[in-house]
Amino acid sequence: MGRNKKESFENVLFTIPSIIMVTITIYIPFIMSGFYSLTEWNGISKEPRFIGLENFKTLFSGSSEFVKSLIFTGKYTVLFMIFSNVLAIAVAVALVQKIKTANIMRGMFFIPYIMSMTIVGFIWKFIFSQGFATLFEKTGMEFLNWSWLGERNLAFFAVVFVGVWQSLGFYIVLYIAGLQAVPKDVLEAATVDGATSWKRFFRVTLPLLGPSITTCVFMSLTNAVKVFDIILALTKGGPGGSTYSATLDIYREAFQNNNYGLGSAKSLVFFVIVLVITQVVLKVMNSREVDL
Amino acid sequence: MKKKLVSVLLCVAMVATMLVGCGGKSDDSDKEASGGGGNEIYMFISQPEYADAINELIDEYKNVEPDVTINYETTQNDYPTLLKAKLNSGDAPDIFSSTAGKEIEVYKEYSLDLSDQPLMETMLPAVQDTMKDANGEGTYGIAIKGNFFGLLYNKDLFEQAGIDKAPETVEELTNAVKKLKDAGITPFTGGFAEWWVFKHLFQHYAGAAVEDYQSFVAAMESGEDSLNNYPLMKDNFFDFVDLVKENGDAKPLEADLSAEVAAFGSGKAAIMAGQGAWVEADVLKINPDLKIGFTGYPVSDDPEDAKVITGADQALRINKDSKNKDAVLDFINWWYTSDYGISWFTDVAGVVPPVETTAESDFEVIKQGNELVAEKGSGALGVIYSTDSFHTAFGEAMQAYVEGSASKEDTISTIETKWVEIDGSTTE
Repeated sequence: MGRNKKESFENVLFTIPSIIMVTITIYIPFIMSGFYSLTEWNGISKEPRFIGLENFKTLFSGSSEFVKSLIFTGKYTVLFMIFSNVLAIAVAVALVQKIKTANIMRGMFFIPYIMSMTIVGFIWKFIFSQGFATLFEKTGMEFLNWSWLGERNLAFFAVVFVGVWQSLGFYIVLYIAGLQAVPKDVLEAATVDGATSWKRFFRVTLPLLGPSITTCVFMSLTNAVKVFDIILALTKGGPGGSTYSATLDIYREAFQNNNYGLGSAKSLVFFVIVLVITQVVLKVMNSREVDL
Repeated sequence: MKKKLVSVLLCVAMVATMLVGCGGKSDDSDKEASGGGGNEIYMFISQPEYADAINELIDEYKNVEPDVTINYETTQNDYPTLLKAKLNSGDAPDIFSSTAGKEIEVYKEYSLDLSDQPLMETMLPAVQDTMKDANGEGTYGIAIKGNFFGLLYNKDLFEQAGIDKAPETVEELTNAVKKLKDAGITPFTGGFAEWWVFKHLFQHYAGAAVEDYQSFVAAMESGEDSLNNYPLMKDNFFDFVDLVKENGDAKPLEADLSAEVAAFGSGKAAIMAGQGAWVEADVLKINPDLKIGFTGYPVSDDPEDAKVITGADQALRINKDSKNKDAVLDFINWWYTSDYGISWFTDVAGVVPPVETTAESDFEVIKQGNELVAEKGSGALGVIYSTDSFHTAFGEAMQAYVEGSASKEDTISTIETKWVEIDGSTTE
């Protein structure tokens, strides 16, 4: 009993430094934004004015922009999850084969991930405008002459594309680790039983990748709903306000429109939405995993 | 047992250093603020394009007041957000920036009224007007520069196309565009990727349409007036945007400020829309021999309406609760009244001086702008009566119009709604 007590005391003690940091940077601001969501405050004046649930009323009665940005975030999240996971599995499968340049290629896929999102955004902004223009002059391919950042539908795909391009390397690494953990003997047994390589992949490898898929889908989900910097660098929410994500809309409300209270209310609502979605996805994914 | 003791000790040490670390920092900053003995000025302002000039000013002030240290910090990106963070965390700068006009009221709580300072004698009346609060009282800031807004055009390209004078009416402009196109020259570069280009364009049309810009804005904010009441705004403004879109950049919504400067500076486009005095230096960096013409927007059929606009759109504010208020006031009074300070505006910074001076500027836009103002008067500096929050929404609505995803009627009603929603509520 005494030993147990000591151990649990130690457990608490060791986590204290991180608990303090997390409290300062996350929990306290979270509670504060809960308070500000009940006030009318422009972020500048010294005294926020308490107005109760008024901000939430405005929010639910007709903030069309917030709804629009939620829809945008939803569309972005779905496409981002599908593309980044499917492509990452495909590339990971290719890269665990015995190719000479496999290691170099792994590195190359990973490089965009270690670059800052803002820099990636500016690089692609340059490619979409100047780079594509020059390429169009050289090749004459029509799609290069489209206004990729100046037309709302194209701008949406441009944002998704750059987002996937940037984070692909991260998911590839996770999937490669998962693929290497798939036991060889099971695969050999399948071969002996006469399974083709397609069947081996879909019936054996993919189910055994379950834990990796859960992790990657979950991470891509949380990263996609939080999308912010890449849009800020690429389109700033334009053209015509068509690429505002929920986080960017909250930022705009709080810091550009000087409605700090309403912005806090929006972020709380967004927090609840994200919480529910991630919990549901996590439950569904976990229940589908198979054990060997 | 020994191992555990060590780990517990280590843990305690870690927490302790962390707390000490945080605590130590706040001690330092306290010392900095109070121990400076009122001789340190913390200046945190936007407009980094004048960083070199301001550093020179500060160096010069060292000779006047060797005891005063000025800590100068500047940023463009996200300045308002950073400033808010500083104000809320109690690290308020002694000198900070905002836009003039509407935002004077927003930061009034922090801002010192300079009405009784010596610098009022040299500050131009047009500049003073933009520093008043919502009731039209006080002077809550000084300007680094005045400004000129208008159309910049390339005189050589105009000559090539056989246009002998700057267009002053809508008809002359349409003809000029036709001639330029016939000569194989792209008439416009628009910069429509920038939201603020639209506010610069709009103020010329609104300024010519209404007598009193400020009460027009007030009526728009309360939803009592409509753009549809003014043909100049409803038709001429949108026609001009169409004209630029159809005869300008290949991808209008991707053309930002740098693309615009590049197109105009390299002679690819003949007319630059939505800009003013601030682009001249950058344009000349691309082609030092470019012959720049500067003129008002041809907003109507009356050549008298084609005015350039001048005034101050940015303000430097003095922190009311500054611990070194006297040192700060000495500094800005010296800036605005000493011989060096006054000549700094034209000789070092190369800006439109916000003070009374007889010095001549080397810049074409400023020279021609001064002549045009002497001849026709200046249009109303309308942008200052609305916040940039509204202007961002305004720019986005106009971008949607340029893109073709919103009709003119929808765009007008979006603008009107935004005006009420965003700016209507801020005046309490």
